[in-house]
Amino acid sequence: MKVALTVWENRISPLFDCARTLLIVDITDQTETGRCFEPFHCESPSSRAAKLSDLKVQVLICGAVSDLFANMIETSGIRIIPFVAGAVDEVIDAYLMGAISSSKFKMPGCGTARDNGYRKEN
Amino acid sequence: MKKDKLYQIPDHVTDVILESVSDGVFTVDHEWRITSFNHAAEEITGVPRDKALGKNCWSVFRSNMCEIDCALRRTMKEGKRFVDTSAYIVNNKKQRIPVVVSTSLLKDESGMVLGGVETFRDMSLVEDLRRELDARYQVGDMVSRSPSMHRIFTILPQVAQSDSTVLIQGETGTGKELLSRAIHELSPRRGKPFIAINCGAFPDTLLESELFGYKAGAFTNATKDKPGHFAAAEGGTILLDEIGDLSAAFQVRLLRVLQERTFQPLGGTKSIKANVRVIASANKNLADMVKRGTFRQDLFYRINVVRLDLPPLRERKEDIPMLVKHFIAKLNRLRGRSVAGIGRKALALLLSHDYPGNIRELENSIEHAFVLCPEGQIEPHCLPDNLRALVSRPTTNAKIDVALQSVEVQVILDALKRNTFNRLEAAHDLGIHKSTLFRKIKMLGIELPKIDGRSKRKRAH
Repeated sequence: MKVALTVWENRISPLFDCARTLLIVDITDQTETGRCFEPFHCESPSSRAAKLSDLKVQVLICGAVSDLFANMIETSGIRIIPFVAGAVDEVIDAYLMGAISSSKFKMPGCGTARDNGYRKEN
Repeated sequence: MKKDKLYQIPDHVTDVILESVSDGVFTVDHEWRITSFNHAAEEITGVPRDKALGKNCWSVFRSNMCEIDCALRRTMKEGKRFVDTSAYIVNNKKQRIPVVVSTSLLKDESGMVLGGVETFRDMSLVEDLRRELDARYQVGDMVSRSPSMHRIFTILPQVAQSDSTVLIQGETGTGKELLSRAIHELSPRRGKPFIAINCGAFPDTLLESELFGYKAGAFTNATKDKPGHFAAAEGGTILLDEIGDLSAAFQVRLLRVLQERTFQPLGGTKSIKANVRVIASANKNLADMVKRGTFRQDLFYRINVVRLDLPPLRERKEDIPMLVKHFIAKLNRLRGRSVAGIGRKALALLLSHDYPGNIRELENSIEHAFVLCPEGQIEPHCLPDNLRALVSRPTTNAKIDVALQSVEVQVILDALKRNTFNRLEAAHDLGIHKSTLFRKIKMLGIELPKIDGRSKRKRAH
């Protein structure tokens, strides 16, 4: 299985929409078997989705992503794990161990139900 | 209290002010960790203050600048303020929010840099208002700022509500079908079908069966009843496109239908009542056809109840930039592309063309550009060949000032190239003063390479 991560300075890129580098990780039986970097300079939602499809990516781990991009990628049959933050190796380990949804790897305000709905006090 | 003594503002007042402003404000330390985060910042980003404090600014702010060209990073590096940089952020609901960002250094009383401060303003409302303003120039899928089109837009709601027969005249590609659809959508019939049929595309017998349908046994292979377009449009609107192409015989048949509001399917014996609003369109001047005797006068007066004349694109070129923007947005949406816009030179080329195919031709040119330039800006090389040819060969039909400018650009560029882009020598070559050349370069928007010819000349000496 191929998992793609949008990366920047050895961490998850803050915003998928304009991320410029993909890290493709090959995973077999919950173990990493290889990884490579891919330039990700295309800009449009469809070209980004097409690039991920061409690379046979099944899961995308990224930071924030706008709904236009997210919809286009999900329509291509790729599962998105959005709003992830942290160092690349730690994120990959957490994914392999099934702990990616831990609040440690969630962007601030994007993890729990409370986080997802910031409410005005007044 | 003495008059000359300044009133000392207590420290907590600054916090009160920060909490009351509508601009988001946050500060970071040298490690890019957020050290303060005001109420507006919480609202705009959707991140509660307690979740933001101590976190890296990029994981909270999530803007398109963070990775590529962070304004705060530039401020910290260069020690300079940056004001009103346009950007967007993505909030925790995956919504893009347009913002303008200003950044500056955060210093203590002794001038020591403590970190940076970033203020950002939510521009969503401004964007919405801009869109609403644009909507004033838009009816249905038609956009225009030209006075002639505005007259049509102004009366369109009344025309739509009236249920009268409408005649739309205009050259091919001027948007007759779009206008018909807009009338239908603004009319009380909007929930019912809108059917368009090109009368010029069928021979009489086929057109009759297409419009009115046929009964089983009406002709060979007519094994069962087939309703026509008039029946399909029941309660709605039918557009009879290119009505000027109807044969004389069919004009009589159509006249009877419009007069009696009933029709008879081919092979049928009973008349069927038609509750259909008729819109007719023509790319020829029907009044002239009546004078020439090629179109029935009685049919003309039957359909010419409300007449709307769509001007050709060459008579409303001021609409081209707006139409181009509209088509780019439409194609971006349809194709999932992100073409940013059109370059100045490419737009100049589009403006210098006369568009015999009108708006459809312009739309096709933009679609052509989408094939060749899927991203970034549309530049001249993305446009169809016939438009690019205008650079070197201005058409005789082009407006005189546009044609002259085009020639002027070419002459100046040729002189600059002959003189290895040395502006002074090029000016001598052209027999004009160098400041005149500079003025023309600026006015005509001629883009020059970074080399200016002087450095090369010095080396040669």
